[in-house]
Amino acid sequence: MKRLFISLAIITIFSFFIVSCYYDNEEALYPSLSNSCDTTNVTYSGTIVPILNNNCLGCHSAAATGGSILLTTYDEVVARAPRITGSMKQLSGFSAMPKGGGKVSSCSITQWDIWVRKGMLNN
Amino acid sequence: MRRLSLTFLLSLIGLGIFAQDDLMNILNQNTPSETNYTTATFKSTRIMNGHSIERMPSGQLDVRISHRFGTLNSGGYNFFGLDQSNIHLGLEYGITNWLMIGVGRSEFEKTFDGFAKFSILRQSTGAKEMPVSVSVLTSVALKTLKFPDQTRTNYYTSRLAYVGQVLVARKINEIFSVQLTPSYVHRNLVATELDPNDIWALGAGARLKVTKRISLNGEYYAIANPKTYLSQQIYNPLSVGFDIETGGHVFQLFFTNSLGMTEKQFIGGTTGQWKKGDIHFGFNISRVFTLKKHKKAPNY
Repeated sequence: MKRLFISLAIITIFSFFIVSCYYDNEEALYPSLSNSCDTTNVTYSGTIVPILNNNCLGCHSAAATGGSILLTTYDEVVARAPRITGSMKQLSGFSAMPKGGGKVSSCSITQWDIWVRKGMLNN
Repeated sequence: MRRLSLTFLLSLIGLGIFAQDDLMNILNQNTPSETNYTTATFKSTRIMNGHSIERMPSGQLDVRISHRFGTLNSGGYNFFGLDQSNIHLGLEYGITNWLMIGVGRSEFEKTFDGFAKFSILRQSTGAKEMPVSVSVLTSVALKTLKFPDQTRTNYYTSRLAYVGQVLVARKINEIFSVQLTPSYVHRNLVATELDPNDIWALGAGARLKVTKRISLNGEYYAIANPKTYLSQQIYNPLSVGFDIETGGHVFQLFFTNSLGMTEKQFIGGTTGQWKKGDIHFGFNISRVFTLKKHKKAPNY
């Protein structure tokens, strides 16, 4: 009887998760966003800051200064730009970033490259 | 005279054998036949990355700390990967002798996970003959890594993935055990249309006891889905290493091409390739605490 009760409780708990079963992919779920990587209007404030916010500042902000590296201000980012490029592209000789979280999306890397090539403007 | 005594002696022996047979019969009739359940098919609740047939007995808490370091091919500058580490912490508890639950947190993709493992059949000899042990494992993984795009509508359910496994194990003899693990992984959200939401895999694991305290383990998962034309190239996870038992601890030291430590991560998320040297050194440390004392010895 106790065995039956525990089984039912466990099955009930897991069924909460099972009902929320989806077959989604990002291309179909976000059609307007997925195929358009904006490579024309690349700015520091509009493009680079959001990339840093989403991928880097979890560890590289004043709250948690991983490896004593800060990426919160424009000057700090410019000073470390070559190393950011290597880490983000996970080239050999660089510490691959983000740690334990796969890789920054290829669109973000392309946008970063464009911003660097255009002279790392503070716009 | 001599001949006579020999005959007498022989008949005595014959009688003795007969009487012994009789006694054995009586003994057999009076003792109820017992079932001998097989124990210690594997040393730990994991073969390496994946679950083994073993579970925590009722009232016992397993505290697990696992690490996977960087790749061996990252070179001497990064001390062959040891400069970088990924951690998984787990708390796992035996509610009854057939049900075990656990929660954990991985650094990899900032994932929380929970699982339940049910024992269905136990390998046994004697009154009840059962050639294999069978368990069922269900688990849920919640990825809490920030979505790359915060401006789009992100759903909570997109973070979830589910795993179902049937563990079929047999302890072939005192030193050798094998396990087959048909597995199913469902991811609610994948990157592109080419990536499958459902992944099917067959796992195989084995343990070879080298000494009383050390065993050699191997584990492999063959993914059934085609692995080309995905947004990310994936490989079958392979792990090879040792279990070392010291008192209350089990240390598992091994090499693997997988960075992930939960089913959802290493089945369909293994991007390293053994051939290219994307091999991670890893370890699991397991320490068992008895939270609930048994009045009598557990029945297994």
